[in-house]
Amino acid sequence: MSHNTDLLTLRSATKSYGSVPVLHGIDLSIRDGEFLTVLGPSGSGKTTVLRLIGGLEPLTSGEIRLDGQDISRMPINKRPFNTVFQDYALFPHLTVAGNVGYGLSVRHLPRKEIATRVAEALDLVQLGRFAERFPSQLSGGQRQRVALARALICRPRLVLLDEPLAALDLELRRQMQEFLKSIQREVKTTFLFVTHDQEEAIGMADRICVMEAGYIRQLGSPHELYYRPNCEFVARFFGENNLVAGTLGSVQDGLRAIDTALGRLLCSVEGQPHLQAAATGAAAFAAFRPEALRVASAGDKDNRFSGTIADVAFAGSSTMATIAAGGEASRQRLKMRLASRVEGSAFTAAENVTLAFAPREGHLVLA
Amino acid sequence: MSMAGAPRFSSSPWSPLVALAAFALPVIFVVVPLAIFLSYSFFSVDQGTIIHTLTLGNYVRFFTDPVFLPVFRNTVILCVSVAAICIVLAYPVAYFLTTLKGRWRYALLMLLLVPLLMSYVIKIYAVRSILGLNGFLNKALVALGILSEPSSLFVFNMNAILLTLTLLLIPFAILPIFLALERIPQVLLRASDDLGASPLQTFLRVTLPLSLPGVASAASFVFVLALGDFLTPQMVGGVSGFTFGRILYSQFGTAYNWPFGAALSVALALLVIGAILLGERFGRSRGAST
Repeated sequence: MSHNTDLLTLRSATKSYGSVPVLHGIDLSIRDGEFLTVLGPSGSGKTTVLRLIGGLEPLTSGEIRLDGQDISRMPINKRPFNTVFQDYALFPHLTVAGNVGYGLSVRHLPRKEIATRVAEALDLVQLGRFAERFPSQLSGGQRQRVALARALICRPRLVLLDEPLAALDLELRRQMQEFLKSIQREVKTTFLFVTHDQEEAIGMADRICVMEAGYIRQLGSPHELYYRPNCEFVARFFGENNLVAGTLGSVQDGLRAIDTALGRLLCSVEGQPHLQAAATGAAAFAAFRPEALRVASAGDKDNRFSGTIADVAFAGSSTMATIAAGGEASRQRLKMRLASRVEGSAFTAAENVTLAFAPREGHLVLA
Repeated sequence: MSMAGAPRFSSSPWSPLVALAAFALPVIFVVVPLAIFLSYSFFSVDQGTIIHTLTLGNYVRFFTDPVFLPVFRNTVILCVSVAAICIVLAYPVAYFLTTLKGRWRYALLMLLLVPLLMSYVIKIYAVRSILGLNGFLNKALVALGILSEPSSLFVFNMNAILLTLTLLLIPFAILPIFLALERIPQVLLRASDDLGASPLQTFLRVTLPLSLPGVASAASFVFVLALGDFLTPQMVGGVSGFTFGRILYSQFGTAYNWPFGAALSVALALLVIGAILLGERFGRSRGAST
């Protein structure tokens, strides 16, 4: 897998429906062979990105380049991309083999070659035995795999997946995530996967593009997005997080102070010049993950504060405690993740605790 | 069926009565008359009175008399032609309707169905005046130079029946085809485009096969309605346009042979049932549902 060259580039891609803009001139490069997930809440424009690339809708302005060539005006049936639709869109009058072979038969390939490639594609998605069935005779997960095989058989440069797992139940969704990822590795094709489910995104993507209100908010690896969100939206949207508002203080040793309702906190700004350069006194948030919080020990000098346990919720492998901290006037509700224990939580409601987090586990986002 | 749902139906003291009525009405108004008809077909007529002894004579006459079978065959050919022409004309119309957006689609559909609200006899008169020797069709053809003088080709013969029935029955073909086309999810057409199909390929490989159930029911509707019609042939068929419906009609009227008429109706009914079953079956076999 080489992710070095750009396969497809969107340049100032804009889309409006009448006078309503849904995409505000976004720039996005998709690298050859990567698994890129476009993540966003509904109405963020993520599906529009996919429809524009697939050719289901025309751009309002801007361009789409494939290998450097502008393909904005290329009709849908000429684009070397294939889509896995949200509700699969299998042809009900064709068998599984007929569905999978469709893309080849409209190109008038010899029957023999179609048969071999259909068999290969069905083996790839482990549906060889179902070739003669009709879609109505398959389960949701099986239809999903037929749709995938149908898209892959044309050997597209890019596979577009439009929330393909949304209709499946949780267990099946997990299985399909792993399955999709393994298929993607096997065929080494570029996948563009659209979803609103951040867990799904973390689990599969090489890179994630977070969208909101028609803008790209951040593009990076799941690790980057989780630990180095660049804005309040990403910090709140992507996984559980604690955000405490404050004003920026001085920089020292790769840490920057922020004055908050919890007192003066220190957060890492290493390798983030824009946070180091931000003006003192600027509004910002200290962000730290629930799993970064712990009961303070004698050795903890920085980022110490006290609070009251408001609620303890058991959630299987972990237990989430809600803590009220800070003064009366500026009460903060913080989440703290604890490992679950068979004897029950060490915390009880209304208990007073002193907590801390390591400065390098804290992060800043500008307000 | 869950047990929980059962008591709800029997909770009202009236419900057994309602259930009885629901079964009784079709029995009284459909099954019983048909049974009476069937039994009549085994009677005979002598000197204008019906003899109530069972005989197969009517059926033997139908199959052996040189008059009836050819008329029966010609009528079937006529009705198949009507159905075929209706389909060919209705399909593009229905397809065009589905390409329209929002309220235009239904406004236009309603407009196409308006003729159904008009009296059948008035429509036949209207069509007859269009097809007649001094009618619009002839005048137009002469004016366009296609004919040198008005032709009597279009009225009081089989052609006239064919044209009139087609005109009268076309709404019955448009509606089922339109509904079938409208039911095809747009995403299937997009999926076809996405897989590299040209617009024509998408039509031939997705739209057309998925609309065939509608075509089948349209064909059986039109065929059955055309088959049962005796008024149109009577009014525009003249002497040469003799159809099975007219023979049937005459048995109950001028000939006053109800048993033989009943036997002919049984033959017609069997054909109609066959056509409906065929339409039904053909409509289902492909679409294996979604």
